[in-house]
Amino acid sequence: MNAALAGTLLLGGIAALDATPVAQTLLSQPLVTATLLGAFWGDWRVALEVGAVLQLLAASTLPFGSRTPEDYATGGVVGAGLALLLAARFPFEMYREACALVGVLAGMLSATGGVALLKWQRRRNEGLARWCEAELRAGRESALGRAHLAAVWMAFAVGVGAVAVGLGAGVALASGVVEHESIRLAKAWALAQPLWIGLGLAQLLHAFVQRRLTRAALFGMALIGGWLALMVGRP
Amino acid sequence: MARLRWRDRVLMALRAELLQATWNYERQQGLGWAWSLAPALRRLLPDREARCARLVEHTAYFNTQPTLASLALGAAARLEEERVAGGGADAESVLRVRSMLGASLAALGDRLFWLTLRPFAACLGVWVALNGGWRGAVVMLLCYNGVHQVMRFSGIGLGYRLGPAVLDDALRRRLDRLTRALCMGGAIIVGVLVAALLVPGGEPRPLVFQVTLTAGLGLGFVAAQRPRPSPTQWALGAGVLCLAATWWR
Repeated sequence: MNAALAGTLLLGGIAALDATPVAQTLLSQPLVTATLLGAFWGDWRVALEVGAVLQLLAASTLPFGSRTPEDYATGGVVGAGLALLLAARFPFEMYREACALVGVLAGMLSATGGVALLKWQRRRNEGLARWCEAELRAGRESALGRAHLAAVWMAFAVGVGAVAVGLGAGVALASGVVEHESIRLAKAWALAQPLWIGLGLAQLLHAFVQRRLTRAALFGMALIGGWLALMVGRP
Repeated sequence: MARLRWRDRVLMALRAELLQATWNYERQQGLGWAWSLAPALRRLLPDREARCARLVEHTAYFNTQPTLASLALGAAARLEEERVAGGGADAESVLRVRSMLGASLAALGDRLFWLTLRPFAACLGVWVALNGGWRGAVVMLLCYNGVHQVMRFSGIGLGYRLGPAVLDDALRRRLDRLTRALCMGGAIIVGVLVAALLVPGGEPRPLVFQVTLTAGLGLGFVAAQRPRPSPTQWALGAGVLCLAATWWR
């Protein structure tokens, strides 16, 4: 469990790096981090249930221009990590669904709270940029590399710290609730999971269709065709 | 006459991975831009003082979609090469071209990468993950990076070869076609995904699931009409309502 926890914290730092400062490969997206966490904790089901819901919500969160979007990089790690941490403590079916609900809620709260941290980092980077420019004016070219190294370390440390705080607070606040109210939470999960999936899919569909009739028709045909293929293809 | 080598362009592409590392509200990607362009300037301007002075000018405000920034970087390197050789644009013009390319590429790149390719890769990943478990994440990464990283690395060479003309009608048409194709593919995948959620393996889900999924789709369309509250805030509100409904029932 300690190794899995250490891996979760490390993944929080790596996800925070991938989200904006380094490469933007989508390694930081909730589905990917949840899959990796599922491997760390040996529980694919809970990890992917949380990861899929957070992924659909994260995919419609867009980093346009200078807008600071919700931080689903750390949110995804906190959400799936907390669900897995709680599921490892309470290994019964009803508890697992309660853990998934708590995980998704914690992931969304963490993503929303992460906006303030991202803004703080960006303001710190302003100071770094001014320092770098002064150094360059003084003929010290290596300042560019040092500024980038400092920004990367800061993003990594903030990611690890945010995940540690999120997991700690989540376990402290939700552990007792999951233990005593697992049936209610599992019922709430049965309602909330399809609602969240539908909400995320509608956002994505809106982005794809963009009020074009042809694309809306393609969606409709795929829905009916898929439904028929699944129903008729049933043995 | 100093000319950029293949190695310099590879180094620029590698450094472009850190274009947003020092993103800030004042200069946005300015510092990352200077860091990415530094290998080219090191080749072209052997004198350190002249190079540092030029780098300072390149740290000025710049912002674009990070993947397509490679095209602008390649084009700027070409202009710097021509400027050092004594022909082409002057120092001010290079910076003006940089800003112009940045704005145009942002408009194209935001549509292609943020609004289309990323949601498309996410849908595909979630669809595969429904039945294939961990394979969903692999498919998502391959789908996105097959375009993103290829464009980031090849963009420097393309921008360098064509200069400011890199953003011609042919490239715009190609990117538009790709965006349209991904949008249509995305609409189809969402349709299949909804069907797979309603009747997984041909077995219809319970009525409660079907009704709440439909309600979620309806809520999502309402939420998509306005920028605020954000989808996450809508989802948090819906989650709290579900908790309240089961708590006091």
